[in-house]
Amino acid sequence: MVKAEAPFPNREKLPVNDRRAQLISRLRQDVHPAEGQIPAYIFSSPEVYELEMERIFPCCWLLVAHESEIPEPGDYVTRSLGPYPVIVVRGEDGKIRILLNVCRHRGMRVCRADSGNTADFLCSYHGFNYKNTGELIGVPFEKDSYGAFDKSQHGLLAMKVDSYHGLIFGAAPGLEESLDQFLGGMKWYLDLYVKRAEMTVTGPPQRWAVQSNWKLPSENFASDAYHVPNTHACMPSLGLFPNISYAKFGYHIHAGNGHGIGIGTGVADSPTIWPETLLQQFEKNLSPEQFSILKTVKNAHATVFPNLSFLISSMTYEGQPIYHTTMRLWQPVGYDTIEVASWVLVEKDIPEESKKKTQRAYIHTFGSSGMLEQDDTENWINVTENSRRVLQLPGVTFNYQMGLGRKPMDSFPGPGEVYECKFHEANARAFYQRWLDLLLGDGGDASI
Amino acid sequence: MHRFELEREVAEFLYREAELLDSNRLEQWLELLTEDINYEMPLRMTRERGQPDVSSQTGHFSEDRRSLELRVKRLGTDFGWAENPPSRTRRFISNIRVENTADANEVKADSYFLLYRNRGSSTQADLISGERQDLLRRRDGGWKLASRLILVDQAVLGTRNLAIFF
Repeated sequence: MVKAEAPFPNREKLPVNDRRAQLISRLRQDVHPAEGQIPAYIFSSPEVYELEMERIFPCCWLLVAHESEIPEPGDYVTRSLGPYPVIVVRGEDGKIRILLNVCRHRGMRVCRADSGNTADFLCSYHGFNYKNTGELIGVPFEKDSYGAFDKSQHGLLAMKVDSYHGLIFGAAPGLEESLDQFLGGMKWYLDLYVKRAEMTVTGPPQRWAVQSNWKLPSENFASDAYHVPNTHACMPSLGLFPNISYAKFGYHIHAGNGHGIGIGTGVADSPTIWPETLLQQFEKNLSPEQFSILKTVKNAHATVFPNLSFLISSMTYEGQPIYHTTMRLWQPVGYDTIEVASWVLVEKDIPEESKKKTQRAYIHTFGSSGMLEQDDTENWINVTENSRRVLQLPGVTFNYQMGLGRKPMDSFPGPGEVYECKFHEANARAFYQRWLDLLLGDGGDASI
Repeated sequence: MHRFELEREVAEFLYREAELLDSNRLEQWLELLTEDINYEMPLRMTRERGQPDVSSQTGHFSEDRRSLELRVKRLGTDFGWAENPPSRTRRFISNIRVENTADANEVKADSYFLLYRNRGSSTQADLISGERQDLLRRRDGGWKLASRLILVDQAVLGTRNLAIFF
């Protein structure tokens, strides 16, 4: 391979760690979330991406599946836990495990389907065989080849696993922080999506690849109600939303640790989006404070740092009010590409007909073909491409100053820093502060 | 009708439809659909041999006449950013198989498609292939599309959005 002449020849000669130190000092110098200044290059630098894969994803609890995807013993789905290929499987003992999908002998993927049900995973390479609990139970020609092989030491490596109201999270084995600590104040808000009723996914996730850096959609769902009146300006003319300033009414909340949520309440005294029967259920499952907020919700977008987002959306559809809840992972597969996995969550007890209606409302408005989301991906792809093209112009920064200096509310029932009016960028600032703290290795809670 | 003639008519219908979609004449495309059209693109999945690889639960499209009209209307507003400027697309339709049904006015027509999509100045293009299982109904001396099941050949769609039709 012909090597292009490096623009900074000395840099190539530095040992890896010194290059790394240089990158970290550059980030320290350039990235100022609290002041709302973010350099363009963080969305397209392969070096920044490498550092994220080392310091962000292995240091966070990451969603891998919903419990309703694997209800029976032996049920599994294959997923990514950050960069790691994993099998999320309910063992024959009923316990959910997250197993590294890497054979202990030569590293072959032991499970190559998206989902299924199995008692064991048989590696296609040399035939090592693992029970659905991860235990190694078979080594071909064991006596002839190894004499004795300590199978007990060669089970599939297990990642940490914990769950929150149906959401299965995993983490790298070394992570000390518990899921509870990691989610912190965000649990109060997550409850609005997953604890309001027993929730179930409608089926496997839609998956599609988008040439976007992973931070753009994550930040958008955490923080950005401001794009709605413009990006989605076609909605009022189609009769789906009442008007374009609809998006600003509500609360903008940084729940700690970079987790952000925007709760849209619509105009004052507008009717609730929820059917009466569900409201009764919600009231039972939530605290009175949570219920008082959920009752008024018209939409709620959120990101659990780093790349898990949620949305409650409602609109007038075919003359009827209709809502849906979606959950998605913005799975990075490179510095400029994500694979989106997007599920629909429904209340388990609602009639099949209502589930179908909800699912259709989702498909028409969000997801791979959704009339709103189509325009979002167009934006994120173009921002990613532009940031790549200005990579060598270090002075190009993006502005995240909206709402700087505004005072948070002091009377909101939920935790975190809460601002009235959803046109605000405090959540994006908090997201990038958390991101920066992890990259620099400074740790600590992000607070803006 | 002679079988050869029927096959020829169906092929011409499908080519004409592809032409309307490729040239962004979407309102005219809608005229080819029946009022009660059912238009579905279920998810494809990677499954063990013998397991169903088409999801019966979730999909990329689940449409009726009204929702398709809404989608077309949206693209025609000043804010249909996803397809403005529009992609350049080319739909190649092949392997057409026509089968009679119990209803003399309806035929089943299966076909393969290869859709090329290119945007902006990119020299890269999205290629999406698959099969369509259609039901065509004779109306007003011509054919209309009454039902379409689209089996796309990707578990992870390799295109930024489905602001396009199949």
